[in-house]
Amino acid sequence: MAELSETYACAPSTERGRGILISGDPKTNSIVYTNGRSVIIRRLDAPLEASIYGEHAYQATVARFSPNGEWVASADVSGTVRIWGRHGDRVLKNEFRVLSGRIDDLQWSPDGLRIVASGDGKGKSFVRAFMWDSGTNVGEFDGHSRRVLSCAFKPTRPFRIVTCGEDFLVNFYEGPPFKFKLSQREHSNFVNCVRFSPDGTKFISVSSDKKGIIYDGKTGEKIGELSMEDGHKGSIYAVSWSTDSKQVLTVSADKTAKIWEIMEDGNGKVKRTLASPGSGGLDDMLVGCLWQNDHLVTVSLGGMINIYSASHPDKTPISFSGHMKSITALACTLQSGEKVILSSSYDGVIIRWIQSIGYGGRLVRKDNTQIKCFAAVEEELVTAGFDNKVWRIPLNGDQCGNAEPVDVGSQPKDLNLAVQIPALALVSTDSEVIMLRGLQVVSTIKLGYGATASTISPNGSEAIVGGQDGKLHIYSIDGDSLKEEAVLDKHRGSITVIRYSPDASMFASADANREAVVWDCVSREVKLKNMLYHTARINCLAWSPDSRLIATGSLDTCVIIYEVDKPASSRITIKGAHLGGVYGLTFSDENSVVSAGEDACVRVWRLVQ
Amino acid sequence: MGVADHCKDTFLELQRKKTHRYVIFKIDEKRKEVVVDKTGGAAESYDDFMASLPENDCRYAIYDFDFVTDENCQKSKIFFIAWSPSVSRIRAKMLYATSKDRFRRELDGIHYEIQATDPTELDLEVLRDRAH
Repeated sequence: MAELSETYACAPSTERGRGILISGDPKTNSIVYTNGRSVIIRRLDAPLEASIYGEHAYQATVARFSPNGEWVASADVSGTVRIWGRHGDRVLKNEFRVLSGRIDDLQWSPDGLRIVASGDGKGKSFVRAFMWDSGTNVGEFDGHSRRVLSCAFKPTRPFRIVTCGEDFLVNFYEGPPFKFKLSQREHSNFVNCVRFSPDGTKFISVSSDKKGIIYDGKTGEKIGELSMEDGHKGSIYAVSWSTDSKQVLTVSADKTAKIWEIMEDGNGKVKRTLASPGSGGLDDMLVGCLWQNDHLVTVSLGGMINIYSASHPDKTPISFSGHMKSITALACTLQSGEKVILSSSYDGVIIRWIQSIGYGGRLVRKDNTQIKCFAAVEEELVTAGFDNKVWRIPLNGDQCGNAEPVDVGSQPKDLNLAVQIPALALVSTDSEVIMLRGLQVVSTIKLGYGATASTISPNGSEAIVGGQDGKLHIYSIDGDSLKEEAVLDKHRGSITVIRYSPDASMFASADANREAVVWDCVSREVKLKNMLYHTARINCLAWSPDSRLIATGSLDTCVIIYEVDKPASSRITIKGAHLGGVYGLTFSDENSVVSAGEDACVRVWRLVQ
Repeated sequence: MGVADHCKDTFLELQRKKTHRYVIFKIDEKRKEVVVDKTGGAAESYDDFMASLPENDCRYAIYDFDFVTDENCQKSKIFFIAWSPSVSRIRAKMLYATSKDRFRRELDGIHYEIQATDPTELDLEVLRDRAH
């Protein structure tokens, strides 16, 4: 049996030029955000426990807890709102098609009976408010002509709804049943976020014109604005009130977060500026914020989540992050004596994870090229991307040294290092196999077939190349040349991955036809067959350090672990390991499997006998 | 395609007298009929049965599956298995596929039918799921 022991969750997906809206539940100290088709709920005090809801059929945009904390309403780009139970089975309470385009913001009424959703209505209604259990409309929302970026529900009676959007307007509706009351055109650019204070007396709207305007909560009249002195120098993307309704937190494209004090007359003054601890690049633009109890949470464009303490804003914030795009490769290596898991996604981000601690930092690379596959040994990382180069990067802690490229002529399909001689690397492209010693291309061998996967034995004496026809070609490495020794023909689909066992006595190969086979190195006979339990192509394969277990991960989202000495039918299956498919697998020790996939998360599973 | 008499007799023995755990049938191309290939004693297990099926050739088989239901009731169901591995010859697959219906009609009293194209589809779990 395998049980999930840790989840290194993904970061919220961000988009340049737009803010994102994260929300939370003060009672359980959790935050909720979306990435791809998943809705992620994380507890701020236990970042290793993240629960992920993956039932949306389209990309999810925003999610909110209900006021009583029992339900979550989440929305996606097709205009559907799903209301599901937060605990247990995530039972679906209701699903409504609310708008005809993407939904940008969603809020519950304070009694938990009504929900207002706003977004892009494609010419028809841009905002809809409905009862949570029946879906019946509770108002007419006209007054907007462009996408409505944010909406808010007044938290105290009499109920009011306020919406703001790309037409620079802030509209105020009274009800229920909600009707248009008045419109404010104070802003000169997109109004990104509008929020009521928790006591319901005021609401604030922030915009890309760098201004923040405060209005009266009951009438909708403007009462003041955030002072321009020491104000933001870039678009303000999100705003969040403190629980006592006296302060707000704003985040902006100028890479700072500011805490403002809202005075009685309705004007705001900067109380403190929080500079982000990053290096100041594009990725540090702040796009989302949340003020929850004592925590100030800010989210940057690069997916970094910083948590400051509101009572001690000078303390360095706790930062963590994750991948934002699907993870393509995973490796476990020792770094300065500590076991570290490295994962890379195709946009070139490599993140270090440390078991039981979680996020261990992002590897800062000097050139951010995209990565297709990588191999890691202690102190060095070799990556191959979508250009024709293979980069060798020396590692010191989480800094990368200068990467040195080697041009290999065409796009590398697979890359492997001889573990005992890290200088020797084997790169396979579509029609050739290239041997590298250090940064020198020592030989290029033309193959007569299309190669799809390759591997090199730990001691560098043998190499295996798998072809599109399912045949495995075994070569012996003699100095700088390859000599073909044998061809094994058992697979019925193109080979996707081949790996030697750590003790070099066996190797395992897997193909696109869902089958994996374990072979003995010396006799080249099949050692374990009938590993056919996947229902879609096998993407990755990993051996346990003692060469006793082998794990396969597939596009069908399952990870199956076989024991080499037992028949294939006695296997451990992990169903639904990663929504969208498992792309990376490695063993961190004898009993822990680490998997990574399309949902941008890394999970550690413990095998319990 | 004919069915030899002792096929029906062996099946009745399994069903009524419970002398066999499983019976494996094959098609004898020369005499153009279905004959009994192998029988297994009542004490044999499912693994013995799976081991008796050839890897590269098709067969028909009957297996007597004993299990205990949720209500703690001992039950026994007879499974008809059409074993047609994807690695076998196409001619064999076609032959067995077209004769299956004719053969099945002879065997009266089968509870469930399973079609298996590789060993993973013949897992004990599959039988257990079908029986419940």
